[in-house]
Amino acid sequence: MGGSISDPAAQNRENFPYRMQIPTRWGDNDMLCHVNNVAYFRYFEAIVVRFQMQEAGVDWLNDPISPQAVESVCRFHRPLSFPETVEAGLRVERIGNSSVTFALALFGEDGATPAATGHFVHVFVDGDTLKSQPIPEAKRKIFEKFS
Amino acid sequence: MSNQQPETRDQYPHFMTLQTRWMDNDIYGHINNVTYYSYFDTVVNSFLIDEGGFDPQGDKVIGVAVETMCSFKKSIAFPDPIDAGLRVGKLGRTSVRYEVGIFRGDEAEASASGYFVHVFVDRATNQPVPIPRSFHAAFERILVTD
Repeated sequence: MGGSISDPAAQNRENFPYRMQIPTRWGDNDMLCHVNNVAYFRYFEAIVVRFQMQEAGVDWLNDPISPQAVESVCRFHRPLSFPETVEAGLRVERIGNSSVTFALALFGEDGATPAATGHFVHVFVDGDTLKSQPIPEAKRKIFEKFS
Repeated sequence: MSNQQPETRDQYPHFMTLQTRWMDNDIYGHINNVTYYSYFDTVVNSFLIDEGGFDPQGDKVIGVAVETMCSFKKSIAFPDPIDAGLRVGKLGRTSVRYEVGIFRGDEAEASASGYFVHVFVDRATNQPVPIPRSFHAAFERILVTD
């Protein structure tokens, strides 16, 4: 576990065992010439959803119990700007009975420390009743591997 | 995860009505979580422009987001209209914390709520500067402290 997510200087790529490259797009920049804050959450979402599908085996349309976003936070440390490619990093920060919290970071091309850090909480719910459910055992094992 | 009670309309002094769009829905048929931050961004910057006189392309001082958070309680779906409630929860020398509630239709309880922290910086040097007077006056009008 790398340091606190509020201390970006203590974080580097190696603190995040699951990573992916995300090219920024021209449309991500706003009129202040930086990637707009909303786009950072789009990058967070991309790595969380990719992880859930490729590592945890989530099938969004067919699984009877699937993850739903309940909370996210982003702290912006340095601006990102098109056309740089962002490296997103994920680790599992907390595994509850029905929820999993991912610690996330976005690295720009210029540095070893993150341009942004944050977290994203998924709760597993029954698709019909929307009531929270225990994390399916196979998925819990995957989350433990990335914590 | 937040276990707090949902926010209610009476906790917000300023509102902006927004129309959800078809593309805001995700594969589950409800508004995608990221889109809520776009509603936050919209109510905050509209307030700065309309009430604080912000000129996004001309002003020397700009607000830079340093932290945003959203807690999702209930889903909303296109074509629901929404009201974005806005208040200032903390007013510092160079930074402001906006608090936002997203209300579906005319519902009294927020479907989602969170915060957005702006630090004001000199556009050229990127260094924090005191909040411009016109912004400060606007923030005081919607300042709500416990």
